[in-house]
Amino acid sequence: MRSVLFVVIGLVALAVLGPLLAPYDPTAIDIPNRLSAPSARFPLGTDALGRDILSRLLYGARWSLGLAFLISVLSLLIGTSIGLIAALGGKSADWLLMRATDTFLAFPELVAAVVIAGLMGAGTWSLIFALSVTGWMRYARVARGIGLSVQNQGYVVQARLAGMPGWSIARWHFLPSLIPSLTVVWTGMFARAILGISALGFLGFGVQPPNPEWGAMLLDARVHMRSTPLQMIWPGMAVVTCVLTINLAGDALRDALAKQSSHE
Amino acid sequence: MIKAIGALLLRAAVVLLGTAILTFALLWNAPGDPAQTIAMARFDALLTDDVIDQIRDEVGLNTNFWHAFRAWLGPLLRFDFGYSAVTGRPVWPDLWTAMTYTFPLALAGLASGLALSLPLAILATKRPGGLLDRTSVAIASLGAAIPAYWLGLLLILLLAVQLGWLPAMGARTPAHAILPAVTLGLGVAASLTRIIRSGILEARGQPFLPAIRRRGVDGRAVARDHIAPHAAIPVVTVFGLELAFLLEGAVLIEVIFGRPGLGTFLVQAILSRDFPHVQAVVVLTALVFVVVNLAIDIIYRAIDPRIGTEDA
Repeated sequence: MRSVLFVVIGLVALAVLGPLLAPYDPTAIDIPNRLSAPSARFPLGTDALGRDILSRLLYGARWSLGLAFLISVLSLLIGTSIGLIAALGGKSADWLLMRATDTFLAFPELVAAVVIAGLMGAGTWSLIFALSVTGWMRYARVARGIGLSVQNQGYVVQARLAGMPGWSIARWHFLPSLIPSLTVVWTGMFARAILGISALGFLGFGVQPPNPEWGAMLLDARVHMRSTPLQMIWPGMAVVTCVLTINLAGDALRDALAKQSSHE
Repeated sequence: MIKAIGALLLRAAVVLLGTAILTFALLWNAPGDPAQTIAMARFDALLTDDVIDQIRDEVGLNTNFWHAFRAWLGPLLRFDFGYSAVTGRPVWPDLWTAMTYTFPLALAGLASGLALSLPLAILATKRPGGLLDRTSVAIASLGAAIPAYWLGLLLILLLAVQLGWLPAMGARTPAHAILPAVTLGLGVAASLTRIIRSGILEARGQPFLPAIRRRGVDGRAVARDHIAPHAAIPVVTVFGLELAFLLEGAVLIEVIFGRPGLGTFLVQAILSRDFPHVQAVVVLTALVFVVVNLAIDIIYRAIDPRIGTEDA
C-alpha cells in the first residue's frame, strides 16, 4: 500500500513539475536532429520532427493525467446524481433512470466515444464530452445501490422522523457510506479514462497535434516503427505505468476498506 | 421463470428503443444537415435541393425531433440501413462483409483468451498465495493496464518486423489473423484470469463442501459437480463485459493491423462523415450487445435458481 502510494505521488509530481524538469520545449521542431537515438543530449531520442521525446512525455503527463482526472470527476458527479435521484426519487424515477443507464451501457464505451468525438469534430472538448458521457454509468449503479440500502436503515428513518433536514441527512448519513465505494469505482474509472484518452488520441480523434498527448505520440511513432522502434515504446510505457499504478492503488484501497468493514 | 424472461424481454426492448433515440439524437445534433443525411441514407448520392426540401417536409424535420425520429426509425425496424452517403452503395452488404471479418476475430480472441486464462487460473488456485498464484495475479494486473493497440504494435514489432514469423498487415490469409486474435486474446485473458481465479477460490470456500467431502464423495466429483458450477456464474456474467472489450478491442486492432472489419468501417465512416454507415455500426453494436446480455441474463437464471425472478 505504502509503496503504491509513493509511486502515485511520484507520478503526480512528474505531471505537476513536468515543465520544470523537461529539458526542451515539447513542440520545438529541430529537423537536423530528427529521429535521433537516445543520447546524453536527448535522453529518450527525438521524434520525426526532431522534438525531444522526454520533454513530450513529461508535458504529456499533464494532458493524460489532467484530462483523465477531469473526465473521471465529471462522470462521478453525473453518475452519483443520477444514482441518488433514482434511489430516492420514487419507483418510476428509479425505473426510468435505470433503463437510461442500461441504454448508455448498451454502447461499448470506446466505440461510442469514438463516434461522439468523431462527429463533434476532433479536439480536447469533444474528447472530454465523449468520455464523460460514456463513463458515468458505473457510478450511477453503485450510488443507487448504496442510496437504496442507506435509505431504509433504522438510523436514517429515525433521523427523518426526528425532523433532521434533508441536506443534513445527506451530509451525515449518505455521504459517509458513499465515499468509500465511490472512491474505489473512481480509481478504476480514472485508469480507464487514461486508456480512453490515449486510444482516441491514437485514432486521431483526441488531443490534436502538436500537443504532446501519449496516444497522439504513439500515432506519430507508428509510422517510423521500423526505423526507430524505441520511439514507440516510451509513450506506451508511460500509459502502462500510470494505469497499473492507479489500478493497484484502487485494489489496495478496496482491500483496506474490506478489512475495515469486516472488523466492525 | 417465464414471467422473469418476459420482464427481461420487456427491459431489453425498452433499452433498444433508448439506444435508437440516443443514436438519432447524436445524428440530429451532429454538425451538418440531417435532411441531407437522411436523403443520402435513403436514395442515391446525387440529390438536388428540391429533393432534399421534399424530404425535409416528408420526414418532418421542420416539425420536431420526435416526428423526425419516428420517420427515421421506420426503415431501421425493417433492417433497412439505406445507402452510403459517400459511395451510394447500399449499406447492408458492406456492413455484412465487415461483420464477417470482425465477428470471427472477436471469437478467436475470446477463444485464445479462454485457452490462456483457464489453465492459468486453475494452476494458480492449486496453492492460493503460492508463487504461481502471485505471478498469475501480477500478469493479470499488468495485462489489464496495457492498451490493446500498443500491445498489438509491440507484437508486430517483435514477431513480424524483428523475427519475421508472422504477417502483420492485411487479411489475405488465415495466418494474418493470428497476431490480431492473439492481441485481443491477451487482453481478454488478463481480466478472465482474475475472475476465474476468484470464482474458483470463492466456490472452494463454500461451507457445504466439507460436508460433502465428509460423506465420502471423491475430490474429482466435488470439483465437477459443486465447484465448477459455482465458479461458472461469474464467468458467464463476465462474457457480457468481455463482449464490450472484444468489440472495442476489435475496432483498434483492425486499424493497427490494417484489417477490414467493423472498426475500419466505422473509422472511415466517421472521417468521411458517412452518417448512414456510422448509424448502422452504432445500431448494430448496440443490438448485439443487448441481445447477448439478454441471453446471459437468461442463462444466469438457468444456472442459479436462487437468482430472483423479480425485476433486478
